[in-house]
Amino acid sequence: MNVETKQVRKNTVGGRMSNESFLTLFMIGVLVVLFGIACAIVPNFFLPQNMLNLITNNWFIIILGIGVTFLLITGNFDMSVGGVIALTGVLSVYFCQGANVSQNALANGLGLPYGLAIALALLCAMGIGAINAFFIARLKVPSIIVTLGTMMLARGIAQVITRGAQRNTSLPDVFGVVGNIAIQGTSIKISVVIMVVLVSAAFIFERMTVSGRRTYLIGANAEAARLSGITVGRHLTFLYLISALLAGITGILLASEFKAGVSSRAMGYEFDALVVSLLGGVSIAGGFGSVLGMFVGAVILSVVTTSATGLLLSPDWQFTLKGIVTFIAILAQRFALDRRKG
Amino acid sequence: MNVKGAKEESLQMRIERSQAVRANIKRFYIYFVLALIVIIFSVAKLGQVEMFGRGHFLSPASVINLLRTAVPIMTLSGAFTLLMISGYIDLSVGSAMSLNAVVFALMILNGFPFLPALVITLILGIAMGALNGLLVMKLRITPVIATLVTLSLFKGIALLIVPDGLSAIKGSAEKVMPPWINDYARKNVLLGMPWAFFVALAVIAILVIVQRKTILGKYAAAMGGNRTAAELSGINVVKMGWLLYIIVGFFAVLAGVARASYMSLGDPLSGDGMELDNIIAVLLGGTAFSGGEGSVAKTIIGALIIMCVTTGLMTVIPAYWQTVAKGSVLLFAVVLNHLLIREKVKA
Repeated sequence: MNVETKQVRKNTVGGRMSNESFLTLFMIGVLVVLFGIACAIVPNFFLPQNMLNLITNNWFIIILGIGVTFLLITGNFDMSVGGVIALTGVLSVYFCQGANVSQNALANGLGLPYGLAIALALLCAMGIGAINAFFIARLKVPSIIVTLGTMMLARGIAQVITRGAQRNTSLPDVFGVVGNIAIQGTSIKISVVIMVVLVSAAFIFERMTVSGRRTYLIGANAEAARLSGITVGRHLTFLYLISALLAGITGILLASEFKAGVSSRAMGYEFDALVVSLLGGVSIAGGFGSVLGMFVGAVILSVVTTSATGLLLSPDWQFTLKGIVTFIAILAQRFALDRRKG
Repeated sequence: MNVKGAKEESLQMRIERSQAVRANIKRFYIYFVLALIVIIFSVAKLGQVEMFGRGHFLSPASVINLLRTAVPIMTLSGAFTLLMISGYIDLSVGSAMSLNAVVFALMILNGFPFLPALVITLILGIAMGALNGLLVMKLRITPVIATLVTLSLFKGIALLIVPDGLSAIKGSAEKVMPPWINDYARKNVLLGMPWAFFVALAVIAILVIVQRKTILGKYAAAMGGNRTAAELSGINVVKMGWLLYIIVGFFAVLAGVARASYMSLGDPLSGDGMELDNIIAVLLGGTAFSGGEGSVAKTIIGALIIMCVTTGLMTVIPAYWQTVAKGSVLLFAVVLNHLLIREKVKA
């Protein structure tokens, strides 16, 4: 009897920390250890400005990570986010550039007001998200294949509009404001504030809304979710649109920061977004992970790459480092969870 | 009564006939697509300016050039098909190919003869395939994630091997790349084709036989169709999957060596996007996404379609249209594949 109640208590969520919280705490522990090592061996690492930069220099990956994390929890990939960033950036510039102002075709745009240009660019981003959703939710095509295709499509359109280069002339002054404005007296840009707001919103969505909990159910068992009355297709469509919208916002902020629409912007960001989600403990096997974990993962990646730069390793190390770190993280998380179960 | 019976019979016949037509479409559509694309490009380009002085799309010179540039994907996509039939995927083939090209070029630059360099690169390639197999089959990491991680790893190593300030392994003031590096992929052996092309043909022939006639092909299809059932019927799935990853790694070496020899340098980014080309070729060839059925021979036709589209488009429209064109071909392949495969499942 006693054993039985103990067993019951062990299986209920209330008395015990959920696996997600456990893993997030585990990764925070890893972060603290890595941070300590970095402070000890990397010169100039333990400076207030540097520690602030660890978070503020990564706002774009964290924003992307939100959409990618939710999709990964449902067991789907979104590799098109990098392409969508390039596309929205280029489109917002193209819509904003003055019409018929120059002989150079790359300097002529549509001459729309900034607000309208942004809205249209975001709409196009969601169009890419809609294509993803149609193929994945309706035609049941594996998400990795579809989103790799739309990645090429989005970046390809950006390349066509910029003729393989970039557009950066005849832009109104208002274009460069959003991405460069900082909070008074600090170096924190408005983009970072947007990132914090979005992460908080995502956290509330994940923990406190029905829709957020459905995401986990779909990932754990899509068939069971369907049978219990969840419209899986509609929910996936919603998540793909959100992911594309977040990528679109990132694209517009980046274009504004550099005052240019570059077709090769955000090359490989889809991989970084995936890496930070995995570092945060999201499992592709389904129904597991959290936005907070992703945030911790992003800071871990930032500590590692900043240390590599601080130790004067060549930039070519980045790819290898990311690969090794992800690999170790996946194995360590699995080991920690197995130990906890056993 | 009699009339009704006859009607039913004719209905039956009609259904059967439509099924037969559909099966035939499924069997032969890929050849039509290839023929159509070749015809379009040869007609569309009649009045165009000559491309690199090679003339018409179907002139011997441009056909030879097309086939020469198609060597890496032809070498690789057969093995890739086998892997996809078994329900797995390897996204790291592109960067594995680049890494092989870089290592091979580095050894040739440092005075290795052709064969030892090839053998060492082959060992490296098999090790890379085995690493993928280890991650996916033994450690049970999802194939997409595991091979994305190794993609990053291989690419990083290839970039690290190339010295700072250079974009590729190539001859410099102190060291000169021996001119015979070109012999493998450029020197005319027979009918204007180099050694690499005949190696690719042999590889294709072997893989077609492996897929159709040997136990490995049957096992791959069984694994892709239903992994649990395959396991229960006594197939060592882990070993087979591992073997398939190693085979892909092996052929990534041949592709990488062909590319390095063709360009006479080792470019760490030369294989970028190769995994996408392979996926497109496999999907065009009618292999099911989730595995279980497919054909190596048709994948090769799919690979030729991609090469025709990319080289053909290059002469008609500016180069910055390439990415959009490839993305569209991929989505087109997905739709086509969906229509044909789904019909079959329903019927």
